Amino acid sequence: MTFEPKILGFLCNWCSYAGADLAGVSRIQYPPNMRVIRVMCSGRVDPVFIFKALLTGIDGVFVLGCHPGDCHYLEGNYEAEKKFIMVQKFLKIVDFDKRIRLDWVSASEGARFAQVVTEFIESIREQGPSPLSGENIDQELFNNLKAMENSVSSDRIRALVGRQRRITEVENEYGEKVPIDEYNAIFDGAIHDEFVRQRILLSLSTKVLSVKDLAAELKLDPSEILENMLTLKSRGDIDYQSIDGNTPLYMRI
Amino acid sequence: MTEPIVETTQSENKEWEPKIIAFLCNWCSYAGADLAGVSRIQYPPNIRIVRVPCSGRINAYFIIKSLTDGWDGVLISGCHPGDCHYISGNLVARRRFAILKELLEFFGIEPGRVNFMWASAAEGERFAVLVRKATEIVKKLGPNKKFEKKW
Amino acid sequence: MEKVGAVLVVGAGIGGSQTALDLGDAGFKVYLLESTTSIGGVMAQLDKTFPTNDCAMCIVSPKLVETGRHQNIDLSINCKILEVTGEAGNFTVKVLKKTLYVNMDKCTGCGVCGRACPVEAIDMFNEKLSKFAATSVKYPQAVPLVYAINKDYCIGCGICKGVCKANAVEYDLEDEIVELKVGGIVLAPGFDEYSPPEDNLYGYGKYKNVVTSIEFERILSASGPYAGKVLRPSDGDIPEKVAFLQCIGSRDFTGNGQPYCSSVCCMYTAKEAVIAHEHMHQIRPTIFSMDIRAFGKDFDKYIIRAQEEYGVRYIRSRISSINEDPETKDLLLKYETEDGKIIQENFEMVVLSVGLNPPDDAKYLADKFGIELNEYNFAKTDIFNPVQTTIPGIFVCGAFSSPKDIPETVTQASAAAGCVNTLLHEKRDTLITEKTLPPEIFVAGQPPRIGVFVCHCGVNIGGYVDVPQVVKYAKSLPNVVLADQNLYTCSADTQTIIKDKIKEYSLNRVIVASCTPRTHEPLFQETIREAGLNRYLFQMANIRDQCSWVHMNQYKEATEKSMDLVRMAVNKARNIQPLERIKLGVTPKTLVIGGGITGMVAALNFANQNFETFLVEKEKELGGFARNIYTTLEGGNVQAFLSDLIEKVNTHANIHVFTEAKIEIINGYIGNFKSAVFHGPEKTRAEFEHGVVVVATGAKEYEPNEFLYKTNDNVITQSEFEKVINTTDDIGNKKLIVMIQCVGSRNEEHPYCSKMCCAEAIKNAIVAKNQSPSTEIVILFRDIRTYGFKEKYYRMAREAGIVFIRYDEDNPPEIVPEGSKLRVNIVTPNKDTILINSDMVVLSVGIVAQKENNEELGKLLKVPLNDDNFFLEAHVKLRPVDFATEGVFVAGLAHCPKTIEDSISQANAAVSRACTILSKDEIEAEGKIGAIDPARCSGCGMCIDNCAYNAIELIEDRRFGTVAIINSALCKGCGACSGNCRCAAIDIAGFSSEQIYAMITGRL
Repeated sequence: MTFEPKILGFLCNWCSYAGADLAGVSRIQYPPNMRVIRVMCSGRVDPVFIFKALLTGIDGVFVLGCHPGDCHYLEGNYEAEKKFIMVQKFLKIVDFDKRIRLDWVSASEGARFAQVVTEFIESIREQGPSPLSGENIDQELFNNLKAMENSVSSDRIRALVGRQRRITEVENEYGEKVPIDEYNAIFDGAIHDEFVRQRILLSLSTKVLSVKDLAAELKLDPSEILENMLTLKSRGDIDYQSIDGNTPLYMRI
Repeated sequence: MTEPIVETTQSENKEWEPKIIAFLCNWCSYAGADLAGVSRIQYPPNIRIVRVPCSGRINAYFIIKSLTDGWDGVLISGCHPGDCHYISGNLVARRRFAILKELLEFFGIEPGRVNFMWASAAEGERFAVLVRKATEIVKKLGPNKKFEKKW
Repeated sequence: MEKVGAVLVVGAGIGGSQTALDLGDAGFKVYLLESTTSIGGVMAQLDKTFPTNDCAMCIVSPKLVETGRHQNIDLSINCKILEVTGEAGNFTVKVLKKTLYVNMDKCTGCGVCGRACPVEAIDMFNEKLSKFAATSVKYPQAVPLVYAINKDYCIGCGICKGVCKANAVEYDLEDEIVELKVGGIVLAPGFDEYSPPEDNLYGYGKYKNVVTSIEFERILSASGPYAGKVLRPSDGDIPEKVAFLQCIGSRDFTGNGQPYCSSVCCMYTAKEAVIAHEHMHQIRPTIFSMDIRAFGKDFDKYIIRAQEEYGVRYIRSRISSINEDPETKDLLLKYETEDGKIIQENFEMVVLSVGLNPPDDAKYLADKFGIELNEYNFAKTDIFNPVQTTIPGIFVCGAFSSPKDIPETVTQASAAAGCVNTLLHEKRDTLITEKTLPPEIFVAGQPPRIGVFVCHCGVNIGGYVDVPQVVKYAKSLPNVVLADQNLYTCSADTQTIIKDKIKEYSLNRVIVASCTPRTHEPLFQETIREAGLNRYLFQMANIRDQCSWVHMNQYKEATEKSMDLVRMAVNKARNIQPLERIKLGVTPKTLVIGGGITGMVAALNFANQNFETFLVEKEKELGGFARNIYTTLEGGNVQAFLSDLIEKVNTHANIHVFTEAKIEIINGYIGNFKSAVFHGPEKTRAEFEHGVVVVATGAKEYEPNEFLYKTNDNVITQSEFEKVINTTDDIGNKKLIVMIQCVGSRNEEHPYCSKMCCAEAIKNAIVAKNQSPSTEIVILFRDIRTYGFKEKYYRMAREAGIVFIRYDEDNPPEIVPEGSKLRVNIVTPNKDTILINSDMVVLSVGIVAQKENNEELGKLLKVPLNDDNFFLEAHVKLRPVDFATEGVFVAGLAHCPKTIEDSISQANAAVSRACTILSKDEIEAEGKIGAIDPARCSGCGMCIDNCAYNAIELIEDRRFGTVAIINSALCKGCGACSGNCRCAAIDIAGFSSEQIYAMITGRL
């Protein structure tokens, strides 16, 4: 049986959804692999939606909004882009970022809608089915994506992405602009750390583990694991459970 | 081997533990008890400490009251003779306790239920040893039932 | 120019804070500036302190809180000095107050902003071992407890501003420049630790499990990143074999480090090793050292305990290389043992005992204040007054003048304050404001409403006692209307909480269940007083020192005990009543006992402040121990200094000198002493009144019985040798002189180091060598303890060809007379035998206490001695010149062996501490004293016999006839009278019988 990708599309009401309608009115044909969820604005697409979708075994997620400058809500699509880039950054960690795409389609671009959708479907078809679909899913990948879902729910990540445009493009509280490189360095670091921390919490939620156990599981340097465990401990998420020989074991609280 | 950091499980049928009230003078023995703490010297948790300015402050009635009120043992400690912060308070106390000791025996209180000792502010280790000893003695004597009201 | 009654103190570590407190208490306005965002300095970073293993935070925290809340201290954080003009007595200082972007008046220190901040920065307080928000406070118990935004890390996202319910975040707050008018300046910027350069020999920065000692200190700390567990940074395992490498960046002549000795590393390393083992018993520490320099009071005993009780292994070697095993991240150390064997040994963790460098901004500060620095970039100081900089009116204390430990820093802090007192005494009380306290709430007759605050004390209590359960239990007790828990009940923020709760719940009794009332009661009493409650409506339950710490493996029992202790405190609290503190007048005169350098310096400084001073010396002449010393190692002319001092003392109008004197009696109490002495050849009796006493009775040289001293004329003591080289040319005909160190020191009889003998020997050896270059000099030593900058002279001596040979305590050298020669047999620690034919043997004899004298004086003054018969101060770390008995101070050799400079510092420190009393017209006495109920008193008079203070007398009462009454100014509240009173007429306020019965009864 040939592989038919299952794709979820988030379409903004005012441009992309109207574009999709126009494609229909114009009877422009495109493959039937995408299921559409209408949202009022692409800015509404919470990063959590994307991870939830991917975790169900969906092969690809497509987010479509108005062209820059055309947003019905003035700037919603700019916010959408920042969030989408953040999700991409997360997925890049596990080389899964090609399964999501963001594009702009206006209400008058029925043909273009069909074209970008077709292209994305083809791209996914080439990548093959999601390792999270079917009977035997890739558990490690699942855990990683689950950790990412938790990460994008965290205050820290949401604060950074939510204030990005204001502090890098307009002005921050001091009336200055934070250089984008500087911002990205902080942002990338935060993404990496929060992912590792959520991943640790996930592992500790089922069993008691040591730093070295976690390092082996996450394929990371134990010293990095330790550092992140300290932060989790100070946040009150984990604690020492017991000491096995000379190795402290940790548990979730 | 995995050993729990905090041992919370206690055996159900553990043996009887005495409760001992301790009157310590502020300047030597109380400070010595603090030093035992600062030095993390472990001793049995049976004593409850009452701080008094000087062993001279310890009224004979404090001791009798403690026994009639059901404490299993009484421990009294002041500065070493000569070290008293109040010059001679502990000597006054010593005379008082010498008489009291005989009186208690006359009453039929077992010697060892009430223990008099000295520990300086620098003797945390000694303090711990004395507490261990006193606890052991009182434990051997068993619960203080002499003053239980039987009617 | 008119003098100003204000003082600038730069740096608010333990040194600066102590100076500020002393001066504030003596009636000066103090501007205390700190460059970081909270006070406490390095001491706040430490886990424990040597040699008592006191918890650093526990002892420093109350002091910091006191500093932060002192009425006369104006504390500013995040400051920088811009410009200094003027002269002693009248300086103008321009200060930049860098903005915190948080309004200090509004911030409650709740920490919501820190938790919301999305930026994580490196936490410098935890020595980079953990991360911190850009909006943060330095450490949880920080004073002042104000969050600050670190602009270097802040991205200005505005999240914190959004979450701050107090609206304290103000991004537009700007830097401020203020101009201060001060009469004197004290510099206390502390030190910076040596940081190994990149590509260092030890792999620091490259190997994860190589850490510095200050990083290790944070690892050890219960409030540190690992919560008190000792873990390897590489994988979080507990290391078993930990190597400590000493002298990293110290005693280093290669140019990579500093040539001087950092003085404190030997002791803090021993302490870290001991504490590491105490925290985790599987840890087996090994210390690689050159000499072990345990030269302070009770330091040697600590080293011995480390070895014998904690199994700390000492290896005398400097390691030659460290390599990391890439698999295990263990470290392979290569070193040469004393007998020349090359050994490779595996360790799981390596700690570098890094030395103390001058502060990074030393040059900047020197430039701004116009003071000179020495060759190592520390503040240059007067040869005999270690707190005097090169500019009059500007003083220094602590590690800015040389590496030093906490007690020396605290001593110098008070010494600097003493010098300021002398400089500005006439301007006391001119710029200060009276502390306004709210009127006391009237509680008499009201039912008790008790509030119980249970402290977690980090993990100190919370780790061993079920605190929430104790709180729950406290809530269930009668009259308890509030029970709550705090992480650190002593921290500044909790004081605010307590005050708020008193108001909210209309509390009229407050209980804190935490540590010991001996250290923390005054702090909490002050807090409740500020909330309008009488100080004495307070009780403490000691659930840490006397419970959690001593039952660390008995969670359930310790919890039960804590609940009992809380209940007993509640039972007592129900019965406590407000008490009045009586006010006592102060006699502004002083008694100084001992006419050596220490006593004379103290007397002179008192006299210069117009305090009439009585100086008592038992010998015919003034001068004391220093009469045997000609120069200091650094070249100071002791004899000239001494005769100048004697001259000044003898001619000063405010000083009465009593020589050949013996004290008959010292009566009275703080502020109001009355003493009598017999003096002069006629033993004339003199009586006088005074407000304070300074004990400066000195010590004496050990009189050796060993090494043929007394039987062979060619065996002399170091001070006799000093006389020979300074007054004759006799050593020209000596071919070889052997000096033996540690004679009468560091042995069973005198188990302490006499501190100055190494320096004395090297000083005399260099002088002798200069006089007669052909004379060979051999020094037989156990450890050469040329700490601090004295290291230079050790090197100089070696370069001059003076030979140093080490021996062990178990194998002391043997002297065999052979004709006019003395053959010295030495067995080295490698068991090599060396024979030296010498012409003269010089014994470096130690310093011993004057046992009988000290015991006698100790009894007169009611002050204690330590095991070695030196006087025992109130607190080894933080009250080095105070006695527990108020108004009595100790300085100089009477306290422990020390150098002349250190003695002078202590003398000045004692002056400063005394000035906190003498500067006042009246002081408040303790309120917990006895009272006699005349209705019950039978007038038998037994209490009079029992009172050691003569505080009770019989009077004729109009209504009750003959009854006893207590003079509340003389009563100390010991209760000896009460315990014996046949009519139960006497009770002791604060420890009343009713209260104690309440504690005894009501047991569940």
